[in-house]
Amino acid sequence: MAHWRRIIAQLRCLLANKRVEEDLAREVASHLTLLADDFERRGMSAEEARLAARRAYGGVEQAKQAHRDERSQLWIEQTIQDLRYGVRTLSKSPGFTITAVLTLALGIGACTAIFSLVNAVLIRSLPYGDPERLVYLFSPNPSLKIPVEVICPSYGDFYDLKREAKSYADMSNFEQAQFSVTQQGTTQRIGGARVDNDFFSTLQSIPELGRTFAGEDNLPTHAKVAVISHSLWVSMFGAKPDALNRSIQLDGANYQIVGVMPQEFEYPFKSDLPYGDSHSKSTQVWVPLALSSQARTSRGIGNNVSLARLRSGVSIHQAQAEMAGIMARLDKEYGADPRDAGLPREWGALVESFTGISIGPVRPLMRLLLAAVGLVLLIACGNVANLLLARTAERSRELGVRAALGAGRSRMVRQLLTESMLVGVGGCAVGIVLAVLFLRLLPKLDPGNIPRLNEASLDARVFLVAIGGSLLTSLLAGLMPAIGASRMELTEFLKSHAMRGSSAGQSRLQSALIVAQTATVVVLLAGAGLLIRSYINVESVDTGFTRSAVTFRVSLDQSHITAQKQGDFYKELIRELEALPGVQAAGGVSNLPLSNSESIGFLWVEGFLNKDFQQTEGRGVTPHYFEAMEVPLIAGRYFTEADTTGNGATIINQKFAATYFPNRNPIGGRISTDEKHAHWSTVIGVVADVRHVSLEEEPQPQMYNTSYDFGDESVAVRSTLPATTVENEIRATLKSIDPSIAATDIHTMGDLVSVATARRRFQTSLLTVFAGIALIMALVGLSGLMTFSVNRRTREVGIRMALGAERRDVLLLILTNASVLVILGLALGLACTLASTRLLKSFLFGVGQYDPFTVVTVSVLLVVCGLMAAFVPARRAASIDPMQALRTE
Amino acid sequence: MPIQILQGTLDLMILRTLATMGPQHAYGIANRLQQVSEDALNLNQGTIYPALVRIEQHGWTRGSWGKTQNNREAKYYTITKAGLKALNEETKRWRQMAGVVEKLLAEEQ
Repeated sequence: MAHWRRIIAQLRCLLANKRVEEDLAREVASHLTLLADDFERRGMSAEEARLAARRAYGGVEQAKQAHRDERSQLWIEQTIQDLRYGVRTLSKSPGFTITAVLTLALGIGACTAIFSLVNAVLIRSLPYGDPERLVYLFSPNPSLKIPVEVICPSYGDFYDLKREAKSYADMSNFEQAQFSVTQQGTTQRIGGARVDNDFFSTLQSIPELGRTFAGEDNLPTHAKVAVISHSLWVSMFGAKPDALNRSIQLDGANYQIVGVMPQEFEYPFKSDLPYGDSHSKSTQVWVPLALSSQARTSRGIGNNVSLARLRSGVSIHQAQAEMAGIMARLDKEYGADPRDAGLPREWGALVESFTGISIGPVRPLMRLLLAAVGLVLLIACGNVANLLLARTAERSRELGVRAALGAGRSRMVRQLLTESMLVGVGGCAVGIVLAVLFLRLLPKLDPGNIPRLNEASLDARVFLVAIGGSLLTSLLAGLMPAIGASRMELTEFLKSHAMRGSSAGQSRLQSALIVAQTATVVVLLAGAGLLIRSYINVESVDTGFTRSAVTFRVSLDQSHITAQKQGDFYKELIRELEALPGVQAAGGVSNLPLSNSESIGFLWVEGFLNKDFQQTEGRGVTPHYFEAMEVPLIAGRYFTEADTTGNGATIINQKFAATYFPNRNPIGGRISTDEKHAHWSTVIGVVADVRHVSLEEEPQPQMYNTSYDFGDESVAVRSTLPATTVENEIRATLKSIDPSIAATDIHTMGDLVSVATARRRFQTSLLTVFAGIALIMALVGLSGLMTFSVNRRTREVGIRMALGAERRDVLLLILTNASVLVILGLALGLACTLASTRLLKSFLFGVGQYDPFTVVTVSVLLVVCGLMAAFVPARRAASIDPMQALRTE
Repeated sequence: MPIQILQGTLDLMILRTLATMGPQHAYGIANRLQQVSEDALNLNQGTIYPALVRIEQHGWTRGSWGKTQNNREAKYYTITKAGLKALNEETKRWRQMAGVVEKLLAEEQ
């Protein structure tokens, strides 16, 4: 009780400090008066009595201080004092304060922004129940030389697995699909999925409105129903609940809307599937898969994706072992499917975690970025420590005087720490502002394949990390100078009566910090340099096609179901397009390069020692496709209209020719794509290699056939007119032929290349920005240290000049000092770089991890910048007036 | 040789002084302590200030400004009810403590 009363009283004293202090002074004065009165009464003179009273009382200030210590919570009072004093001293040297705060803010801002990104991408949970237990099931076939995550078990196999496997709590099968939707008169293609009844329960997602699919919804004969996404609900139905009574037209058919999914649910996103439909960024509509009983038991390769949720306690390895057993049994039970073109029935088993597929590919990038900002933060930290060290050294006289007047060591350390904490808080505040700005800029760099990049935001966790980081930084940065100051030998200080009594040890520490910073900058610069070189290499890859071709995609609907009708449509379309002014050529292709769609076939070459399962990329094109894409002809001729009649004319690429026609002329060679060799086609031309899959992968053997019979097709148009004009002409032409058919994905090939290099651009620009920030910080640090050392050596320089040193000599002296530090840092940095670029290896393209060009460039850049940073203080040293310098101390 | 004041005993002595003499100012208290101890206490008068503020904050005394007989202003401390109670408890505790120490010392001899 008394205890609490005391604390309240103490706090009250704190608030009314001034009044309490006056009261105390009055009381002490009265006490002294009473004492003196007594002494006078005993016969002393007034003056003697006053002195005697003083003696009897003891130290007035000590008594007052003891009273202060007793009456209020000492630490609060001292902290307030320290803060007040700190703010005052900091505002007295704005140059130091602004530099320190900005340095910290840059470090913290960059770190916070990148951590927000990593948080959104890697850490924040996905809206799918426990996503760690979601897995994809794949069945790779060893005879197919394609990535293992392409083929999922066939429907027949899947439903057998579902019946027998014990590892899963839920299993679902779905297919991606694109639908044409007409909205306010314009037809759009939207991403969709055909899903079974277990789809939503496997993802543990519930609709925000209505229901998902159940029971008879998935029977082929049942009325068509659909679940739509939140954003579609908003854009098409104004977010009105009566949407559930309405229907939506997909590809011309009516679907009754039964449910609306919540905002964050648009599964599958593009990045959620390893080899998903590249035209579909996210999913806006879900309809029942509605398999026929025949499709349900099909054992041929399908387009389906198999998703499952592991039972708790079951590991991925256990699930895969179980799946392998079942697949091996099914392989024995069923023969090869006739539609799989001679592929033997040997489907493997592969279970991969959903997060591994969705997030796995960007994990190394996230780590790289975290490492880079970590280094930037370290440099910032070193810089602030250096600034504080220099400042403490310059204030050593003040500190010495305070120590001489009786300031306790711990009290002084606390005071210095309070100051660095103030810098830290300032840095944190500005840093968060910078982080917000940075996060605004980040989506502009969005490479499109980093999941949830746009959701990166400052949440509570990020804030905690930022605040913790900045306080820790300033604590660390402030600790060194504070300890240094507290070690000061008072007698030494008083003896030397030095203006700037910094010890040799402290200046060694500062130099070491600069060397370490420089080394860190070298690592960052070298990393950025290697990435820039890789990016330039990727950008200058010979893609095999022109970037100026305008391309678009056409999907034919139910009214063009026969080959005849399709052929007529495309013939007319190409003819009309080529008749447009400025158009030089137009051609259709089944899959555009860099569109993430590939059709792989087996082949046999006449007169070649054929092995089993030789693979080639296959494409159907209309005759003028190569002209439209400007794919160079190497030998023979391009297709002509006559070739579309089915005479078996084939064009191959150089890689194909080199692989299957070694040392002979491929023109006239014969190729078969069916195992019974019932049909042979003849090579009429060889074209250049085209980078179909990615810019960074070597082209595979490629072959082309020509016809006009396509359901869906991409069309390339080469014109002398600007791309936007061509786009309008394309829309108009298509409308004039059939207004119900939409041209989607209108891009130039340059756009597709740009999308393909976006990830690289993203990582390269970020790393370059960080390296730039780091370089500037290190230069500010170096310049600061040199200025400080020039200040300290004013007297020395004065003596040198008095003894006859030229200004040039002084300039050189300072520059040499700076160069030693820079070169030491450079050497250390290069050593670290050599040791660490191994980690960068997976990010490089066409450049070795020990690229001499990068090393030389970085070294030159660093030395030049270092000398420039040291030049200003060096010139100041050179302009010292010897007379003045000698008088200053 | 002057004796040092044991930690915490100053509060007790001040409370006792106030209980015996009625309201007193700091000088009066200090004087009284010196008289009673027959100058054996090594007491700078200023050293009682922390104790004064401590017991006041505990609510054991109340301070108010008044005039001395010689018409000098001084801050007078009055012991409160809570102060009297605390004095009782502290006295009891001190006696116990002193008893224990005394007993131990006697046994040693």
